[in-house]
Amino acid sequence: MVETTTSNISEQPVRVAKARKTLLGHVPINSPLYQFHPVTRLLMFFFLGIIPLFIFIPYVNMILIVVNIALMIWGKVDIRRLKMYLPVIFTVAFFMFAVALLAPGKDPSYVPVTFGPITFYYQPIFFAFAAYWRLIAMLFGTIFYFSTNRERDMLVAFRTLRLPFIASYVIGLSIRSAGMFMEDFRTIREAEQARGLDTKAMRFSDQVKLYMMYLVPLFSIALRRADEISNALFSRGFTISGKVKGGGKRADYIRSHYEIHTLDIVVMVIMLVIFVIIAFLQLRYSMFAIENAPLNIYFKGILGITN
Amino acid sequence: MSLAIKIQDLEWRYEHRKSFALRGVNLEIEENTFLGIVGANENGKTTLVSAISGLIPHSFNGIYRGSVQIFDQTVWDMDALELASKVGFVFADPESQFTAMTVEEEIVFGLENMGLSNQEIGERIKVAAELTMIEDLLDKSPYDVSGGQKQRVVIAAVLAMNPPIIIMDEPTSMIDPLGKRGIFSILRKLKAAGNHTLIVIEHNIEQLAPLADQMLLMHEGNIEKLTSPEEFFADPKFLEEHGVLTPESTEFVQWLKSEKYVPEETPLPLDLGTAIDISRHVIESRSDAS
Repeated sequence: MVETTTSNISEQPVRVAKARKTLLGHVPINSPLYQFHPVTRLLMFFFLGIIPLFIFIPYVNMILIVVNIALMIWGKVDIRRLKMYLPVIFTVAFFMFAVALLAPGKDPSYVPVTFGPITFYYQPIFFAFAAYWRLIAMLFGTIFYFSTNRERDMLVAFRTLRLPFIASYVIGLSIRSAGMFMEDFRTIREAEQARGLDTKAMRFSDQVKLYMMYLVPLFSIALRRADEISNALFSRGFTISGKVKGGGKRADYIRSHYEIHTLDIVVMVIMLVIFVIIAFLQLRYSMFAIENAPLNIYFKGILGITN
Repeated sequence: MSLAIKIQDLEWRYEHRKSFALRGVNLEIEENTFLGIVGANENGKTTLVSAISGLIPHSFNGIYRGSVQIFDQTVWDMDALELASKVGFVFADPESQFTAMTVEEEIVFGLENMGLSNQEIGERIKVAAELTMIEDLLDKSPYDVSGGQKQRVVIAAVLAMNPPIIIMDEPTSMIDPLGKRGIFSILRKLKAAGNHTLIVIEHNIEQLAPLADQMLLMHEGNIEKLTSPEEFFADPKFLEEHGVLTPESTEFVQWLKSEKYVPEETPLPLDLGTAIDISRHVIESRSDAS
C-alpha cells in the first residue's frame, strides 16, 4: 500500500536560542544580567524606580538616568531602541512645561521673569524641570526592567517574594492582555487601511471620533478572549481558589529552575543600604529637596529670589 | 471494553437562544476508541464535546437536561480539577487556549493544578514535548511559534496531563497543510498507543476517516448517524445532504464501482493508499484481459 496519508512531520533541526524576547525587546541570552535571580532584577527595578521619588535634585536624577543607560549597555540591551521612547520623553516635557507656563497657579511669592513679550514665573518652571527629570529617571528604570525581563521572570520574582499564585497569575494575564489589546488595535487599523482609509488625510476631530469607534470592536474582542481564556483555564483544571488536586501545596516547577546565589544577596544588600541611606537623608534632612538643588540655588541667586 | 462516556437524553439550550443546541442526544463511547465527529457548522458538534468536557454546564449558562457520565461519574457533579484529569480539550484556535507566556509554563500549568511534584512535572514535560516534537520550543513564547507548532504546544499541554479522554475540536482548522500533517501524525501515534479515548471534530475527512474507529454525524442537535467509517461513507449523497463530503478516495472507488470497473463487493477505501491499490489492480486486470 502507498503510505501517502501516514507521513510524519520531518524532524526539526535543533535550534539554540541566542536571545530572549523580553517584554520590550530582545536581549542576548548571555547578558550578564541573567546571572542574577529574577527577584534581584525585580528589586533593581524597585530600587531604580522608587529612588527618584526621594530625589528632587535634577542632576542627581540625571545621574540615575545615566546609571540606567549604563546598566542597559552592560546588560547588552540594544541601546538604539531607546529612540522609540523619544516621543514619550518629548510629550511629557511638552505637557509639563506647557502647564507650568500657561497655568502656573497663584502664589504671591512667585517671581515673574520676562523674556520679550513672554512673562513666566520662575518657581513653577523650575518645579516642572525637577519633576520632569524625576519622571524620566523613573521611566528609564522601567524601560531597563522591561527591556531585560520576561513575564516569566516577573512571575518567578513575585512568587519568590511569596505573592500568592493567583495574584501573580492575574498580573501575568494583565501584561499579556495589554499586548493583545495593542495587537488587535493594529489589526483593526490595518484592515481599515486595506480598505482605503487614510487617517493622515482626516481632520483631527475625525481622527478622535475614529479612535472612539475603535473601542467597540476592541472591547468585544477583549470580552471574547476573556471567555476563551476562562474556558481554557477550566479545561486545565484551574479553580479561582487556586487549590490543587489532593489539596496539597502547589508545586512551582518554573521557580525550581532558579536559585538565589551569594551575588544576589550582595547586590540586594547594597541596594537596600543605598535605599535606606537616601530615604533617611531625604526624610530626616531634606538633603535631596528642590531647595538644595545647586541649579535652583544658582538661578535664585541670579534672579535675586531669597525665599 | 468498559464505557468511557455515556450520554443519556441530553438536551442543552444556550442562554438567550430560542432553540436547543442539543436535542435528546444518547451516546455511548467505549474506552480507548477513536470517534470522529463531522457535520455542518452550527449543528451541535462543539456543543456535544463541550458537554463531555464539562464546559457545559460549568462554564456556560443555559438549560441542561439529561446526563453525561464519564467513567460512571456524572459531569454535573465533577469540579474543574476532576474533569481536567479525566478529559483533555484542544480547541480550534490555539492562541485562545494559551495560559502562559512560555511553552514550558504552558505545559506546566495544568500539571501544577493536578498537584504533581516538580520531579514528576519535569518527567511529563519531557515525554509530552518529545511526542509532539516541541523540545526545542520550551523556552519560547507560545505566541512566537508557527500555527502548527502552537497547536502542538496545546496538545502537549493536554497530553502531559494524561487524561484518559482527549477531545480535539477542529484542531487543524487554523493551521497550514504542513501543520495539519503534524497534528494527524500525533493523532496516529496516540491511536497506535491505544491509551486514550480520542474524540476529534474535523472537517478534514481525508485524514480523519482512516483513523477513526467510529464516525458520528451531528445534524440539528442530534446524532444522525453513528457507525464504522466504511459504513458511514457508503452513502455519499446522504452525507452531502447533511453538509459532509466523502473522502475523495472513497468517492473515486465508488465511481469505479458504478462504472463496473471493480466488483460491487469491493470494500470502499478510506485512504488514498488503498484507493491507489484498487486502481492499480483494475489497471493490471484490464491490461491482462487485453
